[in-house]
Amino acid sequence: MGNLELIVEKHTERIHRGLEVLPTLKHGLPEGLGNKRWTGDLILATYEQALTGDIPQNGLEYKTGNSGGGFDVLGWKTHDGVAKVDQDQIDLSIPLNKRGEGEKIEIPVPIYGGGMSFGSISLNFMIARARAARRLGTYTSTGEGGYPDQIVPYRNHVITQVATGMFGVREETIQYAPIVEFKYAQGAKPGLGGHLLADKVTSEVAKMRESSMFTSLYSPFPFHSVYSVEDHKKHVDWIKTVNPRALVSVKVSTPTDVDMVAIGSYYAGANVIHIDGGYGGTGAAPEIAKKNIAMPVEYAIPKVHDYLVSEGVRDEITLMASGGIRTADDVAKAIALGADGCVVATAEAVAVGCTHCGNCERGRGCQVGITTTDPELSQFIDPEWGEKRIVNLFNAWSKRLRIILASFGLESIRDLRGRKDLLVRFK
Amino acid sequence: MQAQETGYRRFKIESRPAPHVYPIPNRFDVRARKIRLAAMLVHEAFEYRFEKEVVLSRPCIYGVFSGHFGGFKPLKHKCVGCMRCVQEYPHIMTVKPSEAYKKLGDSFWTPEMVYTVWNEASTGKIPVKGMGYKGAFGGEGFDGIWTDMSEIVRPTRDGVYGREYISTSVDVGRKPTSIDLDNVIETPRTIEIPLPIIFDELPNGTDNDDVQTAVALAAGKVGTLDVARETRLGRPGPENLLPLIDEEGIEDYEEKQPSILEFDAEKPSVLRKLLTRFDRSIIIGRLPLREDSGQVASELARQGVHGLHLYADYHGRDYSRDPRHISTALRDVHQQLVRDGLRDQVTIIASGGITLAEHVPKAIICGADLVGIDTTILVALQAEFLGETRNRANCGLRPRRINPEWGAQRLVNLMGVWHDQLIEILGAMGMRDVRRLRGDIGRSMMDSELREQSFKGIAWAT
Repeated sequence: MGNLELIVEKHTERIHRGLEVLPTLKHGLPEGLGNKRWTGDLILATYEQALTGDIPQNGLEYKTGNSGGGFDVLGWKTHDGVAKVDQDQIDLSIPLNKRGEGEKIEIPVPIYGGGMSFGSISLNFMIARARAARRLGTYTSTGEGGYPDQIVPYRNHVITQVATGMFGVREETIQYAPIVEFKYAQGAKPGLGGHLLADKVTSEVAKMRESSMFTSLYSPFPFHSVYSVEDHKKHVDWIKTVNPRALVSVKVSTPTDVDMVAIGSYYAGANVIHIDGGYGGTGAAPEIAKKNIAMPVEYAIPKVHDYLVSEGVRDEITLMASGGIRTADDVAKAIALGADGCVVATAEAVAVGCTHCGNCERGRGCQVGITTTDPELSQFIDPEWGEKRIVNLFNAWSKRLRIILASFGLESIRDLRGRKDLLVRFK
Repeated sequence: MQAQETGYRRFKIESRPAPHVYPIPNRFDVRARKIRLAAMLVHEAFEYRFEKEVVLSRPCIYGVFSGHFGGFKPLKHKCVGCMRCVQEYPHIMTVKPSEAYKKLGDSFWTPEMVYTVWNEASTGKIPVKGMGYKGAFGGEGFDGIWTDMSEIVRPTRDGVYGREYISTSVDVGRKPTSIDLDNVIETPRTIEIPLPIIFDELPNGTDNDDVQTAVALAAGKVGTLDVARETRLGRPGPENLLPLIDEEGIEDYEEKQPSILEFDAEKPSVLRKLLTRFDRSIIIGRLPLREDSGQVASELARQGVHGLHLYADYHGRDYSRDPRHISTALRDVHQQLVRDGLRDQVTIIASGGITLAEHVPKAIICGADLVGIDTTILVALQAEFLGETRNRANCGLRPRRINPEWGAQRLVNLMGVWHDQLIEILGAMGMRDVRRLRGDIGRSMMDSELREQSFKGIAWAT
């Protein structure tokens, strides 16, 4: 074994061991870890769930962050005298196609993986996510950076994203996909298009995106071919022509008229409307966009849900929410507010060691091999190890979801949808 | 005031690096327990058979341990808080925000805000970072406002610095509400500045010569205005001066007949005098924001003032008995003027608490035409925080000795990067002109309102 391999092995082993030791709090809660949204407790609780597949038992706060609003000021009503439900029998599955026609696809957990592109994340992490999606029976999304050959074996669990830059969008990558996702906008940078800084555009990334090495890549905003719902319908028709069995998801941000956007997407033929709130993750975005443009998903979900109900189409389209879903409780709260399920990405990154430090955009990118294209750093994430951690995290979340549902005597996650009456607000 | 040039030139503020000249505190304090570190090195030396390259390979990609003494003397200024050293060696390493960093600013200026302004002034580049938003959910004032966006509307954007043209120019002055070409009584008295930001009067005792020169130079380079009390003969860029005139000083300015001037509108009797003696000037009334500012503003507009400069304290609180955030106070004034049919006859400049790029579009949404910055100028110039900065008469900021050229470049950079960020917001909203944003509350979202709409039906916890 050469020195470089030894160095990678040494740091891999130590990072992985650290992820096991830190949640024990043997060395205390690291003061510099976390922020208001992803607190140190939440990060360590996610490490713990990714390790054990179970709910943390050592007092780490695993339900909410400390942002002072949104999911963090919502809790659950306490109920006495509800019918007893066998937790093992609780159904967490949701349908992704509620229309009369097309493939009937259900996922056994109300979660699938959000788009993180090749280039913004390492290939190994991408493979780990795809493997985990396969094991869980759910999906992960390519993001907009193309479809590496290495994830083709998992294609039945991979959503192909078509974004404004069309990076790596080819006929075969659309034909692979059981679901094709149009990304109109992203919560972390609504109205601004994608952004991959030059340092991360290595030869592999450039080849995949058919661009030049070490040149910053921007995907434009908006789709230059879409300026109306009718144009959007043409997009859907294009995908249906190339791959008639594919379901279509439409990922949008959360403007004031997000309800109108949702209904427009429904009439254009979408199976899934995916709303991505302002506090979602990204590989790189102007800081001003993250905090100030478009509303948080907590406020957008009821708006869209209620409107789809009033239009009489709520049961014909699946509403997925993302943009700041950190915990199982966030998932359940999003569903109680009106979503069918959630799309998650940052939590998967935290499961494999992300500290939410926000240095993803830099040259070598992530110090633990998640949001990087550096060949050495990428090796810190062995796909099999990453798969286990992500699967464990979602298994732990499933346990928590069952506890919440059982506490209200509900037998299916579908029964929680729109049940705002089960939530309480804290001041 | 845009220079008249032949041919088309898209407005762009040219940034150039203007690094900090005074050392800034490290964000993070990295420490190693030295005995444990030594023991670990010995252990790893045996584990890796004294392969120096492997044993000394460090758990940091940012070079914190790349000094001669490695972890024994970390290079703290290089730390970005990624925590990898803590992940790898939790029994040895600690990383936490440094005490000096935590002490930056005051009760309003958070360390993060100070750092942001410093870096914007230093680089002139839009802050771009990975991962999602890390702060509080919403909050008071500007923090409780989100701007709208449009999924499919032009203008298109191709990267941070490439897009269709969006105008950030604003008019300062009074425009007639209708035009009668056969009977021209009043010609529009306006000037156009290329971005909706001016440099406001600096806090008492902080405008030494170097700072004044830096501000004046920057105003000239950017094409905006700077508000100052003194005549400042011989100052650079006199055409960019917006003199603040008191009653006693009227005579000094009569001969100069500045194109634009401000006066203390708490003494409304001065207005009549100014309108008579400065019949070609744009006259702006400077007014503290209070409960009754709407009525006062309407009255001044009726009397013929061309613009109003409404100011809150430096923390963005107005001077009402129960102080409100400038965003609320501005909305009141704007709406009062709209109700009275006077809004389009006066320009509103808002200042006090405008400290971050996002405050510009949000203040405009609340009803301002443009904003003024004040303490932000001093922070960009690396002034020292000596205490609370709220009070206009006694602001806890002390400017340091600076080279005016350097200072001017810092301010040019700050304006460049705020301009770029304003364009990001406008582009996301599908707007081509900042003038359209004024008072357009419908294109914003208020935390308090959304919370009540979306969480309706959710009981309060008991």
